[in-house]
Amino acid sequence: MLKATARDEITGIVGKGNASFGKEELLCYSYDATNSLYPPDGVVFPGGPEEISRILRLANTEGFPVIPRGAGTGFTGGALAVEGGVILSLERLKGIREIDTANLTADVEPGVITGDLQAEAERLGLFYPPDPTSLKFSTIGGNIAECAGGPRAIKYGVTRDYVLGLEVVMPTGEIITTGTKKTMKGVVGYDLTRLMVGSEGTLGVVTRAFLRLLPLPEAKRTMLVEFLSLEDAAGAVEAVINAKVVPSTIEIIDDVCIRCVEKYAKVGGLASVEAVLLIEVDGKETGVQDDVARIRRIASERGAKTFWVASGRDEEKDIWNLRRAISPSLSKVKPTKLNEDVVVPRSNLVGLITGIEDIASKKGVVIASFGHAGDGNIHVNVMVDKNNAAEMQRGMDAVKDIFELTISLGGTISGEHGIGIAKASYIGMELSAEAIEVMRGIKKALDPNGILNPGKIFPKAFRQPQHA
Amino acid sequence: MRGIKELIEEAGRCVRCGACKSVCPTYDVLRREQSGPRGRLSLVEASFKGESGFGGAYLKNIKECTLCGSCHSNCPNGVNIPELILAARAEGVEKGGLSLAESFAYRGLLHSERFMQAALRLASRLQGLFLKGTAFENGLVSRFSLPVIGGGRLLPELADEFFLDRSHIEELSPSATPVRGKKGGVLRVGFFAGCGVNYLLPDIGEATIRVLKESGAEVVVPQQVCCGMPAYSAGDRRTARDLALKNLEAFEASGVDIITTSCATCGHGLKKVFAELLSDEGLQMRSRVERFASMVRDITELLTGELPYKGGEKGKKGGVVTYHDPCHLRRYQGISEEPRRLLSKSVFTFKGMKHPCRCCGLGGGVGFANYELSMEIAKEKASSVRATGADVVATACPGCMVQLKDALYQSGVKARVAHVVELL
Ligand SMILES: Cc1cc2nc3c(=O)[nH]c(=O)nc-3n(C[C@H](O)[C@H](O)[C@H](O)COP(=O)(O)OP(=O)(O)OC[C@H]3O[C@@H](n4cnc5c(N)ncnc54)[C@H](O)[C@@H]3O)c2cc1C
Repeated sequence: MLKATARDEITGIVGKGNASFGKEELLCYSYDATNSLYPPDGVVFPGGPEEISRILRLANTEGFPVIPRGAGTGFTGGALAVEGGVILSLERLKGIREIDTANLTADVEPGVITGDLQAEAERLGLFYPPDPTSLKFSTIGGNIAECAGGPRAIKYGVTRDYVLGLEVVMPTGEIITTGTKKTMKGVVGYDLTRLMVGSEGTLGVVTRAFLRLLPLPEAKRTMLVEFLSLEDAAGAVEAVINAKVVPSTIEIIDDVCIRCVEKYAKVGGLASVEAVLLIEVDGKETGVQDDVARIRRIASERGAKTFWVASGRDEEKDIWNLRRAISPSLSKVKPTKLNEDVVVPRSNLVGLITGIEDIASKKGVVIASFGHAGDGNIHVNVMVDKNNAAEMQRGMDAVKDIFELTISLGGTISGEHGIGIAKASYIGMELSAEAIEVMRGIKKALDPNGILNPGKIFPKAFRQPQHA
Repeated sequence: MRGIKELIEEAGRCVRCGACKSVCPTYDVLRREQSGPRGRLSLVEASFKGESGFGGAYLKNIKECTLCGSCHSNCPNGVNIPELILAARAEGVEKGGLSLAESFAYRGLLHSERFMQAALRLASRLQGLFLKGTAFENGLVSRFSLPVIGGGRLLPELADEFFLDRSHIEELSPSATPVRGKKGGVLRVGFFAGCGVNYLLPDIGEATIRVLKESGAEVVVPQQVCCGMPAYSAGDRRTARDLALKNLEAFEASGVDIITTSCATCGHGLKKVFAELLSDEGLQMRSRVERFASMVRDITELLTGELPYKGGEKGKKGGVVTYHDPCHLRRYQGISEEPRRLLSKSVFTFKGMKHPCRCCGLGGGVGFANYELSMEIAKEKASSVRATGADVVATACPGCMVQLKDALYQSGVKARVAHVVELL
């Protein structure tokens, strides 16, 4: 619980309208996209790094947790107040300060919605490639903290690859700048930028980001390719990569997912197929035409049933709306989604897909798979009902098997959603005890009192979620 | 309206993904979780499940929703958040949570149309006292804060003579080759004016009647009252239900083939809400309401459907027109192409605006409950209009028109606001 004096001090720092301790606000800041409920003791909306610094110093003396929060769309509970404390919402810091068309860089505040930055960049003929499927409603700060990726990672990489430098408020209150602002290179001192990216709000609060942009590709084509089996589709992905074509996106969608989003399907008759690939290529006009032709040939060799190229913006949008609706729609299958995002080397994609099908039938659970096949990253959703204890247990067992399979195929248990609380108990499957100790050492050095986003990443017991 | 149990069950389909925030006009402006659909849903769901201890912030948050419906159309799981909010408002009214100003307006004014008319007639004569004219737009700016209305906003002048008081509108024959109705006689269209047209923008009513006649219909304007939507959106279902019944009886007695309105909000009310409000009152009532609802057409729907508008003189000499989609027309009635098609038959050159279906900010009572928020939302609309460089912004809802006039005035955008029928 937060002391009354601490509340007053917090309110004094940010001003009356920017700190809330009322029941309504606490409820609204108690969840994220994991859909579990941990009411915090307060919510604060700082106006800049100085205020954040003062709040963190206060937290150190008073001993309350501070949890940075962007849009609350995280899939692993990073923004949840699992140990109580104050939610530090960055929603007010939403300025795009500069887009520098001469240096191809952007200077943004953490609360900027990723899609808004992309739209602004595009208006100037530039391109910010990282595209988590949540891009219309997640923030740059959250993307940096989770090192978000997306369909375009196959060609363009992930958030990490576009962060040149950061302004960060350290857990103990110091405001520092890491990396560079406008240069593509910079090796002075340790690479704190990379340390911060993906640190899930446990090592510092990002208050400004200096990002790299690219020129906007001249042309683009979006294709939808239907297959009679998931293996065929996965095989086609491997074949495309083998042929050294690099699409900007190859997304795979299995039959369970297709059934959930059929209503979005203004295109084609998806009803009879078992798997779909969504492929996008970009670049020069002549280049994309050539790529489409090559992909069409490979797909038909690999047993594609239909091959369909979107004509125009509206059809492209329809396809993407369908794709973006998958994850939230899965609740139609079963209420509880154990949502994993494993990655394997692309040459092992078929191994992963068939392995998952085996696990599903062995454990007797429904598994819905879709995702960024082009970079080997599959969103594996074990669908259960948390009120059915036996099914829930089978689901948890299936998750463990999936992780073992992934690691045996040379992969990693989380590609982009992070660890948070959802995967904390599994990190020992991938990381050695020594590696985890090094990480704990870093956390301890930067946050000696453990006030910044405690209970995340490292396995630890904390309170049970509330249910409304 | 569906029962609380069913609504809670539906709310349970929400997985808290947050997609709805990206299309919510109030979240966009306020940037607080509780000011967006996901937060509002969480609050109402918890309250309906028996969570206690919610106070003023709860009511404020549910009152701040414009009910534009974007969250519902954008929800991957089809959760109808506006309906949940309406249910919460209705509950708030039952428990006496509706504020004084609103109950005065909805209960007192609307419920007794005679009182409403007398009050507004008086106001129409006295308006100079409260309101000062502007040279810029047709309208008046309130000199100081009025209870329901708030200060500083641009209000359309109350009409000198209210539309429904005009004697020439009672029964009108077609002015062109008559169109036949189903029963063989001349197609008889009943016009539902609505308060916006009656008290504020009677020119729309005149234009509607003119176009209907020119298209070959016989027009009747039965004695009618407010459609009840302002009361309904505020959660005052009792008032809304009484008004619905009066209107139902009035139009049944008029023997029309089709009922039309040039107000998107009234149209949604007549088509769907009347049935909802009266559906518990026996089978006979249900079939009466259903029959009534099946006769209702938005004016743009009618003029592109049973009573096709032929288009007048040719040539595009009217300047550039853009179009704003009223929420109650596009999302609640699924009408978006029809008004655009009509505009393409006018003398104006059509140019689309960015985000045409984003809410203007007036709806759901937000224009009354929180004028500042409502105007903040409208600013974006004003800048979309500015970017088109249009001479005229057309829309199909008097409510949106009042809001757009105000917003354009506040943002210094010099485009005229008109109803689609006024441009035909
Ligand atoms: C439908 C849907 C689809 C998704 N698709 C993808 C996808 O394709 N790829 C992907 O990578 N993710 C995806 N996600 C997950 C999620 O959107 C991302 O993890 C996103 O980066 C979270 O951003 P946020 O602003 O919501 O952060 P939050 O959920 O608010 O926070 C996430 C973490 O970041 C920390 N944090 C937030 N802001 C800051 C800051 N300024 N400084 C320090 N720490 C901070 C928080 O403490 C927390 O640990 C999806 C989510 C949904 C609901």
